[in-house]
Amino acid sequence: MARPMGSVRLKKANPSTLLLGAVLCIFIIIFLVSPSTPTKTARLAVNTASHHLSPPTSPYRKSSRPGELGPPPVTHYKLNNVTITPDPIANQEHVLILTPMARFYQEYWDNLLKLNYPHELITLGFILPKTKEGNAATTALQAQIQRTQKQGPEKDRFKSIIILRQDFEPAVMSQDESERHKMANQKARREVMAKARNSLLFTTLGPSTSWVLWLDADIVESPPTLIQDLASHDKPLIVPNCFQRYYDGDTKKMSERPYDYNSWQDSEIAQQLAAQMGPDDILLEGYKEMATYRALMAYMVTEQADKSLVIPLDGVGGTALLVKADVHRDGAMFPPFAFYNLIETEGFAKMAKRLGWQPWGLPNYKVYHYNE
Amino acid sequence: MIPRHHSSGFANGHTREKTFDFSPHRLQPRASANNNRHRKKLVARIGAVLFVVVLVTIWLWPSSSVASLVSFGLLASGTDLELETVRYYDLTNVQGTARGWEREERILLCVPLRDAEAHLGMFFSHLRNFTYPHHLIDLAFLVSDSKDQTLEVLSSSLEELQADADPKQPYGEISIIEKDFGQQVNQDVESRHGFAAQATRRKLMAQARNWLLSAALRPYHSWVYWRDVDVETAPFTILEDLMRHNKDVIVPNVWRPLPEWLGGEQPYDLNSWQESETALALADTLDEDAVIVEGYAEYATWRPHLAYLRDPYGDPDLEMEIDGVGGVSILARAKVFRSGVHFPAFSFQKHAETEGFGKMARRMHYSVVGLPHYTIWHLYEPSVDDIRHMEEMEQERLAREKEEEEKKKKAAKIKEEFGDADTQWQKDKQAMQDSKLQAKDGVKPVKAAEAEGVAQGNKGAAKAAAAQAADPGAAKVAA
Repeated sequence: MARPMGSVRLKKANPSTLLLGAVLCIFIIIFLVSPSTPTKTARLAVNTASHHLSPPTSPYRKSSRPGELGPPPVTHYKLNNVTITPDPIANQEHVLILTPMARFYQEYWDNLLKLNYPHELITLGFILPKTKEGNAATTALQAQIQRTQKQGPEKDRFKSIIILRQDFEPAVMSQDESERHKMANQKARREVMAKARNSLLFTTLGPSTSWVLWLDADIVESPPTLIQDLASHDKPLIVPNCFQRYYDGDTKKMSERPYDYNSWQDSEIAQQLAAQMGPDDILLEGYKEMATYRALMAYMVTEQADKSLVIPLDGVGGTALLVKADVHRDGAMFPPFAFYNLIETEGFAKMAKRLGWQPWGLPNYKVYHYNE
Repeated sequence: MIPRHHSSGFANGHTREKTFDFSPHRLQPRASANNNRHRKKLVARIGAVLFVVVLVTIWLWPSSSVASLVSFGLLASGTDLELETVRYYDLTNVQGTARGWEREERILLCVPLRDAEAHLGMFFSHLRNFTYPHHLIDLAFLVSDSKDQTLEVLSSSLEELQADADPKQPYGEISIIEKDFGQQVNQDVESRHGFAAQATRRKLMAQARNWLLSAALRPYHSWVYWRDVDVETAPFTILEDLMRHNKDVIVPNVWRPLPEWLGGEQPYDLNSWQESETALALADTLDEDAVIVEGYAEYATWRPHLAYLRDPYGDPDLEMEIDGVGGVSILARAKVFRSGVHFPAFSFQKHAETEGFGKMARRMHYSVVGLPHYTIWHLYEPSVDDIRHMEEMEQERLAREKEEEEKKKKAAKIKEEFGDADTQWQKDKQAMQDSKLQAKDGVKPVKAAEAEGVAQGNKGAAKAAAAQAADPGAAKVAA
């Protein structure tokens, strides 16, 4: 028969030692489970919804027993108090960054994290096609979101993130640069793009957004103060100049060239062209077959490079575009059909003008497009 | 060999009684009874301390995971503070099908309101009666530029609805959006329907609708239903009825009841129509910002209107393709709005608001239909003309009553008069008979008797004249 070892040990142990051990254990448990950032709940409580049926621009408190959740509360949204001012940080204005995404670029996400507008005022919205490529992009995006929202530093975390999968067939299967820019494919491609933008916009805008920043998934470099800088001009629609960095074989060094040609001032010739077109035809920019002689913002970079120079525009590009939420609330959207022979972002500028909102451009304020 | 550890008996089965026993382990040191008691006490104390500490922790931080860790998650509290910041939606799941209530498809019910306090009671009775599962319907109200108690009445009615004891009554997400557009547009019936104010008014209405939709549409909505607050009568099953048709945009016919003297009923919503050649030609002649509005002599469009095609005994399922839609009751797939169709607050193909919405939906190749024989009834609010007419009618009625009163009086008087004449006649008759009897008393020659008769007749006439003089009323009758 074995010895009753337990009792032997117990006898040796001092009661005070045991108590100390117990207290130590409790301390360890508390430190293990207590949240590492106790300020988190306090910070987000203001903008938090209590029910999952709530505007997606705010996070919600997840209930561990969703089945027992009562009927949602009656919520008042005072849109009279939603301000849109040139000083959005001081007024705590909420910004919605919308990105239609087909491919995920790490540089895009890194650049997004570098934006120094308070992240707790930023909601991100993405829409991705339901294709093989879209699935891959979604997976990559979700991995980055997980890293930032769950493990990243508190100041990097965004208020809320919405991922949508689009409900219509993508027009062009290939996202290759050459295929994507073929003139024949342009109308179908931009129709789908417009629908994606509208789906994203009208399901995420919500009642608290002050500014909407359209930022394409292939914008890989922008000033970190992008939102504040664009908002400071207090224009209903404002678009920076989109350039692309490339390796110049002639000079053997990195150089840059204009990328987005959709920001322009209208010309007589373009209007005459439009007058001869059928109601379903669209005018396109940047194609030799269709010389419109519009004044393109891409070529308006001035020598002195005054970054705050603003010019009125008739068409805008969507690679980076800051819009007052009221413009969208009034109904200005991206027409997925020929609207005054214009489509998507250019049609959007036209529709905004019809509603009394003037688009503006910043020729010397640059953002950079990814180079394939 | 001796079994050393056998204490109960010998190997041969003999029990050991009162024999001296050497058992080696008995020589080992053992915990004394005293020591044992001490240990038990200590364990109990530590247990008690631990228990108290855990209780205090749970009491102090009810939501912290200490409790769940200690209780292995069995004691999870309801208010977990974990925040969900990422939402994922697949829009292919919210396309909207013909039998949405079976697939648990969510509907967004949008109601624009302004100074509508008086109609809210009626509207909430409709809400309570909808047969579509209430928890699948999200309500969104836009209260703008209201000078009455619309907001207060709305909030309290909604709170009441959400707290209803019947689990089938409460609705889904409820948003009340307050936004004043600073419109100084008069909302009374007359100025609302005047021709000159139409274009501006329709553009402002469109703006309000767009603000409401953009603030309330969510990625989980399959359908959007627009409903005016002043609908008086509509089937409880209207959502299912419209949904069954499986169209992108669908509207019922809207009529309104009228007082008897106005014909009993009348087409109300003239904004649901099919495009006509005349109207298209007219549109080409108009200015870019002009808005064609229906139901006014200024724009004769000769369009076939849904409202005028109603047959009370027609098939309620009959569909009709339309180009402009009225806003009283629109059911549309959410994807129509998601893809960008909205209520133009500018002149879109010479139309604005709901008519422009219909045009834009058609432009994007969505199906837009109306049901000519499926009717809902709009509240009848008398117009200024109607009120004037009603006042006239009231005066007429009063005049007629007065006249009747007088007639009655006259009749009574005549009756009185006749009654007097009757008694007079009786008296006269009596008198005549008396005099006859007197005449019969004396025997007279026939001639004399005849003369007497004539004299008597004269006498009677004289008597009647005297009576007339005595009664001026009777004289009036005679006159």
